[in-house]
Amino acid sequence: MKGILFAKLKLFLRKPWLFVIMTGVCVMFAFFTSQGEVNKIPIPYSVVGDSEEMDRIVDELKGAEAFQFQEMTEEQLKEYVSEGERQSGLILMPDDFRIMISSNTGTTSLLQQVVGKAYSDMKYKKAVEEAALSEGIPSAEVSGWFHEAETAPVFSIKEASFKGDDTFVYDPKLQSLFGFSLFFVIYTIAFNVSTILNEKNEGVWDRIILSPTRKWEMYAGNLVHSFILGYVQLALIFFVFRYITDVNFYGNFTTVLLLLVPYVFTIVSLSMLITGIVKKVQHFSAVIPIVAVSMAMIGGAFWPLEIVKSPILLGISKVVPITYGMEALKGATINGWGTEQLMLPVSVLILMGVLMMGIGINFMERRHV
Amino acid sequence: MLEVVSLSKDFKKHKAVEGVNIFLEKGETVGLLGPNGAGKSTIISMISSLISPSEGDVRLHNDSILKHPQMLRKVLGVVPQEIALYNDLTARENLEFFGKIHRLRGKALKDKIADILDQIGLKERQNDVVKTFSGGMKRRLNIGVALLHDPEILIMDEPTVGIDPQSRNYILEQVKRLNREKNMTILYTSHYMEEVEFLCDRIYIMDKGHIIASGTKDEIKSILSAESTILIKLERSSDAFVDRLKEIAYLKTVTSQDKEVTVVVPKEVHPFNQIFQIADETGATIVTIDRKTATLEDVFLHLTGRALRD
Repeated sequence: MKGILFAKLKLFLRKPWLFVIMTGVCVMFAFFTSQGEVNKIPIPYSVVGDSEEMDRIVDELKGAEAFQFQEMTEEQLKEYVSEGERQSGLILMPDDFRIMISSNTGTTSLLQQVVGKAYSDMKYKKAVEEAALSEGIPSAEVSGWFHEAETAPVFSIKEASFKGDDTFVYDPKLQSLFGFSLFFVIYTIAFNVSTILNEKNEGVWDRIILSPTRKWEMYAGNLVHSFILGYVQLALIFFVFRYITDVNFYGNFTTVLLLLVPYVFTIVSLSMLITGIVKKVQHFSAVIPIVAVSMAMIGGAFWPLEIVKSPILLGISKVVPITYGMEALKGATINGWGTEQLMLPVSVLILMGVLMMGIGINFMERRHV
Repeated sequence: MLEVVSLSKDFKKHKAVEGVNIFLEKGETVGLLGPNGAGKSTIISMISSLISPSEGDVRLHNDSILKHPQMLRKVLGVVPQEIALYNDLTARENLEFFGKIHRLRGKALKDKIADILDQIGLKERQNDVVKTFSGGMKRRLNIGVALLHDPEILIMDEPTVGIDPQSRNYILEQVKRLNREKNMTILYTSHYMEEVEFLCDRIYIMDKGHIIASGTKDEIKSILSAESTILIKLERSSDAFVDRLKEIAYLKTVTSQDKEVTVVVPKEVHPFNQIFQIADETGATIVTIDRKTATLEDVFLHLTGRALRD
């Protein structure tokens, strides 16, 4: 087995490009889809008057998570809203604001809250500064107090709530990272496992059979190599996001790395099953994208499964490995699951892996390519 | 030494091999000839224990290898028809890999690789990646890999397909040397009759899954010893000439292809005068006419027919 692994490693080092490209593409997809502001609601705004306070309010608003504010003239703003191109528009004045709406939706009240809070924060800070000034303390020093209080508070407050079955927490960065990583690694693993088909067609497999090497060593050598490559790819991507782009893994980075093991094993087994079923490498190359993309769509890699309402699609998702991979990874991070809760998706993945591996090898052994 | 007894193989309803008997004595080189689809590769796969037969047995020193395939695999080297090598590894790396899976290690492996590289003439190119090799070099390395564990029996499935005459000659000389110096028993399949004539002591000819002739080269050729072949080359093709020849009762077969006409006659018959007369009457101009004794190829074509195969 060591000999096969060593040869595979050499072959990989001669041609690492598929691995490098897949890793790069995955990092790019995960990065850009999580950084984009596609989920923010665009709100045009116009400022009446010019003062330091107005600049502060605008800065505060630009930090809002739900909205993307776009500055324009009042005439443009009215035209946008009246023609229905934007649901709402915002006119900011020194002491007050006005919201223009084309239709009354839930956005309006949320916008009102966000803008109202920005005004009250500004007024509060202004009042403190004025009081400090009357005591002879410069405003720069007061600003420093505010900054210090925000960055290093005396008390830290942690909010917690009981979650019902119907609630779900959405973290776009982790959703994109987990989804695209679990999706792209299917290609890396599958195309490595499929080298067994090439070796069968080229006679190399028969040559190894005729040596004292045992069958299990032949399979193990090939499959362990695919497992290692798949795992290293995922770990590499997660390390990039953890240590370079500083994505929050909710303090469970090590658990996430451990949870990748059953998922990668299942995908190796799935690839073995497909390799056992198809007859030619060309068939394999045609089947893999179909399987990978449909599994990713149904298994919640591209969007959270919680937004899917179709009972049929949700039913199919129960037999897709990505579903349980996503569930385990999100469970360990966003949902803060404990070991017991994580055992369910992990067990399902291992069961699927064992079944698919057994059936795949059986098919492979029945057929002499 | 190695005995194939009533071997048959069915693939669903298709009988690829039926009731084949072959034996190989120690130190013999035996040829297995047959057109495409005759069942040669299926027989080789069954002898190598890669596929199991539907019926029959393969015995090594009277022990069935169907029950103990490992026994045969220790002493068997197979040179497959395909180039069964890792194209992205060097010649040395390929030999190292296949040597290791044959449990060769350390100095023994190193010495063996040096010996094989010398035998196959690839010492200078040992560190080059196989995909940069010519067809002949790949074929030589393909043979080298099969020799790593010093097999007693070597099965070669069309080892010279698609290579230049120099490489082909080199391979044939090496096979001859292996047989002569190492007393290796060789089963050799090929489409090239001259290769089989050059290398083999005995020959099996098979077609449609059956052995249709077997024996020494002379025994095989004697199948056509009662007949001789007359080759006639015309200036231009003439159907009238061929039709008139076919009317002559003592000419056994008359076949034509373009400007060439082949006539098989009993050895004692001398029909040259009559052939010239018919040519004169039909207006055909004979460029050359040649009478020859049967070659292995004649026997092969006589037994398997001249019709094209799929």
